[in-house]
Amino acid sequence: MDFSKAMAVSSSGLTAQRMRMNTISSNIANINTTRTPEGGPYRRKDVVFEAIPQAKSFGEILTTQPDRNIDRVQVTDVNVDRGAPLVRYEPDHPDANAEGYVAYPNINLMEEMANMIQASRSYEANVSAMQATKDMAMSALQIGQ
Amino acid sequence: MSNSLFDKTTNSLGAAINFRLLRNNVVSSNIANAETPGYKAKKVDFEDALSRAIDINGLNRLKTDNPKQFISGAGEKGEVEPDVYDNPDVNVSNDGNTVDMEKEMSKLAENTILYKAALRLINKKLAALKYVTAEGGR
Repeated sequence: MDFSKAMAVSSSGLTAQRMRMNTISSNIANINTTRTPEGGPYRRKDVVFEAIPQAKSFGEILTTQPDRNIDRVQVTDVNVDRGAPLVRYEPDHPDANAEGYVAYPNINLMEEMANMIQASRSYEANVSAMQATKDMAMSALQIGQ
Repeated sequence: MSNSLFDKTTNSLGAAINFRLLRNNVVSSNIANAETPGYKAKKVDFEDALSRAIDINGLNRLKTDNPKQFISGAGEKGEVEPDVYDNPDVNVSNDGNTVDMEKEMSKLAENTILYKAALRLINKKLAALKYVTAEGGR
């Protein structure tokens, strides 16, 4: 039971939300991208969060019972949208196919903006939690003064 | 000797700040996992157990022939175990996550304030002790 555990959990939340923000930025930036190294239009990406019991080290995992009550969060996978792309008729476009259709990424800008707001609010909540933990630790240092 | 120096109050305040730290850790974990699909919000209960253990009024003390027979209500803080469980009082969202962000944030704020209150009480106790040890002989 210590302060560093709460700090580590909150910072894992910060990292996860920042990674989510990165994929959202990438989605918004590539909303019209028709060319990628893998070929075809850009595919929408989405992070997958997973709760993992907080343990400091391999040794701690081996020797102690994992504390199932305190979980950090981790991005364990980036899900790539495999749905059909949006197709528009643009015969003059260099990436148009033989019939004159261009495949665009199937990205909804409104959805991405809503996710972005949610991610930044979650980030702020984790910052507040960390601030509260820090506050408690600092006042614990004042005992007996 | 140490019993009269650091009495029941100091001990139970110490226990209380430990439990508040646990609650802070659990609430932080809930906030970090507010977006994790399927995550169940956890809750810490210790107030009732602690107040029963401290038993300031002695109401819980059982009448026995031998005072060592039952430690219930005898101020045994070592016996208090905080209860951590999945919070049953929640709304489940589409992805199975049960974290209520507003509740968690208010719990966090409340917990920090009460933690600081307990620390302040410990400091007052220590200050009184310090005063007695420094000024008592004069």
